Amino acid sequence: MHRVMIVDDSLTVRMDLQAAFAAAGFEAELCENADRYREALSKGPFALVVLDLLLPDADGLDLLKEIKSNPRSASVPVMLLSTEAEVRNRVKGLKTGADEYIGKPYDAAYVVARAKEIVRRASAASAESAPTILVVDDSPTFRESLKSALEAAGYRVVVAESGEEGLHKAADERPSAMIVDGVLPGIDGSTVIRRMREDVALRRVPCLLLTASEERSGEVSALRAGADAYVRKEERIEVILARLAAVLRSAKTPAALGQTSGLLGPKRILAVDDSPTYLHQLSDELREEGYEVIQARSGEEALELLAVQAVDCILLDLLMPGMSGQETCRQIKSRPERRDIPLIMLTALDERDAMLEGIRLGADDYITKSGDFEVLRARLGAQLRRKQFEDENRRIREELLRKELVEAEARVSKQLAETRAELLAELEKKNKELEAFSYSVSHDLRAPLRAIDGFCQVLEEESAPRLDDEGKRHLRVVRENARRMGELIDDLLAFSRMGRQAMQPTRIDMEKLATDVFEALRSESPGRAIRFQVEKLPPAQADLPMMRQVLINLLSNSIKYTAPRATAEIAMKAKETAEETVYSIRDNGVGFDMQYSHKLFGVFQRLHSNDEFAGTGVGLAIVHRIIERHGGRVWAEGKPDRGAVFYFALKREPA
Amino acid sequence: MNPNEVEVLLVEDNPNDAELAIRALSKRNLANRLHHVKDGAEAIEFLFGTGKYAGRNVGNGPAVVLLDLKLPKVDGLEVLKRIKADERTKRTPVVVLTSSKEERDVIDSYRLGVNSYVVKPVDFEKFAEAVSSLGLYWLLLNHPPEVRR
Repeated sequence: MHRVMIVDDSLTVRMDLQAAFAAAGFEAELCENADRYREALSKGPFALVVLDLLLPDADGLDLLKEIKSNPRSASVPVMLLSTEAEVRNRVKGLKTGADEYIGKPYDAAYVVARAKEIVRRASAASAESAPTILVVDDSPTFRESLKSALEAAGYRVVVAESGEEGLHKAADERPSAMIVDGVLPGIDGSTVIRRMREDVALRRVPCLLLTASEERSGEVSALRAGADAYVRKEERIEVILARLAAVLRSAKTPAALGQTSGLLGPKRILAVDDSPTYLHQLSDELREEGYEVIQARSGEEALELLAVQAVDCILLDLLMPGMSGQETCRQIKSRPERRDIPLIMLTALDERDAMLEGIRLGADDYITKSGDFEVLRARLGAQLRRKQFEDENRRIREELLRKELVEAEARVSKQLAETRAELLAELEKKNKELEAFSYSVSHDLRAPLRAIDGFCQVLEEESAPRLDDEGKRHLRVVRENARRMGELIDDLLAFSRMGRQAMQPTRIDMEKLATDVFEALRSESPGRAIRFQVEKLPPAQADLPMMRQVLINLLSNSIKYTAPRATAEIAMKAKETAEETVYSIRDNGVGFDMQYSHKLFGVFQRLHSNDEFAGTGVGLAIVHRIIERHGGRVWAEGKPDRGAVFYFALKREPA
Repeated sequence: MNPNEVEVLLVEDNPNDAELAIRALSKRNLANRLHHVKDGAEAIEFLFGTGKYAGRNVGNGPAVVLLDLKLPKVDGLEVLKRIKADERTKRTPVVVLTSSKEERDVIDSYRLGVNSYVVKPVDFEKFAEAVSSLGLYWLLLNHPPEVRR
């Protein structure tokens, strides 16, 4: 049984409504003021609030705000009940979040009928979706507790442990909303949301980002990524549920606006006339018929109201001070969402031309004003029926269209997924082929090189007496180039190996590794004065042979490019941020021009000629590939003749 | 040369590589008891005394096999497997000739019990180092003057 909260200071109203609601099968909770309401709220859930705007201890609008901002009641529909003095109040109430506004004096049967419809619509909205929530979080504990809380709140829950998995599940499940942790292994929460926003099919899924940070920067980055809301992870789970409810509701509002009631539901009529007498007379007549009548005294008021509330029919006086009936009609009919509301012009007998003008502007009918409301009632009924049939037809058409659209969308996304999988497989195959190719090329290139070098040597040894100095020099050039080609092949091999080799991440003492590597390198450059400083370095989680290769390449570069210095200064440090550890190696060598920095990490890219500094241009490409395979970043800073700093950043392990 | 007196079996299809290896060893008079075969099939016939080498005493050496991997007909890995699988030959030391360190990793992954590696080109120093590590010092000593093949 639905519980209805009736908040009104008048005992008569409370009793009257209680009886009406009880007859309709509702259980009514009666509150004479805001305090009692709060007390009743704590007792448990209810389906609807009927709220008087004038309360002894509070402003009804303030209480409405309170209801809508409290997570426990935010999704409960509210019907405002008030003296129909001002259209302005009605507009304000609806803008604050009320779902309905009924003027006093009210008709109890109408209130209950309206209430039934709102409750039905609200529960249909929540049942139709039984909304699926996708939870993406790498912590199993948090994931499970959130899951059970969401399920207890009536949601269907799908979980994923990583951003990648989350995106796959989002595409499969089309959730009503997603809750994603900001910090994840692999791609992070912001990236997940950004990818969702890039996907046509998932663009509109509301996303809630969970952040660990205390600071407002969390909110900024969440919103920049396109999140609809963000919640700090330390908050209680109820807060997350409330934010979720709010996000889901606001995602639904645009569709809800302009919705008309069912065929047999109560009808709402907007009557616009500058004469209060006629307006009251008209309202009384129509209320007797069970219509709800909203009275507007000018075209401006009518437009203001229509912006926030849908009506089923409009009765519009032609001759009004201020905005004329024609102009009001034109403006009403100029908006697509209002074009279909039947509009009946009220004219005096002598306003024939104006009436014709009104019909030209889009009025659906006209009625001559008189004290006899018989005709008006009949015409109104006819218009409402016509509108009803049109609505039904349109609904059927839209439903068919929607079905087609959903099917088409499913087809397209299936095709897309298939194409994507094919491309991925193709790419993998190409990669393997390329690696096999580069290996065998490097390999087969060696045989002729060996012959060139070997037989040059034989020539040198056995035919030396017959060669003049120039001939010997030529031989040396040939051998030197064969040797260099051998180096290029070696490096190319090493580079291709880095792409294939399986990684076995372990915890690495970077300080020790750097020192060991450096000492080994130093012994290869005897006679050089090199000062090497290592600060305390945090350990890394990485593949040991690969990380050793990174340090060998970077440190040997530093040693190589500091050769012109009397004393080479090389320093290694590290800095930890929330997400990564950034290691840096600084030297006082010849540096480089930043405008070529993009070339540093390319294969066979060099910034120095081989005469200046020997090398093949593969070392940094290997560094780049290794760090990339570890999910890290690598970059460099330098100035010509002023030294260089090479940085590599590795993701920190979740503590 | 009498196939029963062979001390070093060189299995190498590339004539240039073979010539350089033989030249390097003959300079130290090490090539006189060396036999060169140009593919895996012939290597197997030699080692097991079949086909062309029918009648050769399988128990009688060679003292060491220098084995290239990329070979026509039967490749080096297959030859290696056959040597290590047969009771009569499995104790014959095999020195694999490789083009790069890379290949070493590949062979090691087969766990075929290679005894040593030499990265080509084969020169005397590398050869001496390899056979010394196998305990075959005598191969390096007391050799009569070279007889070029």
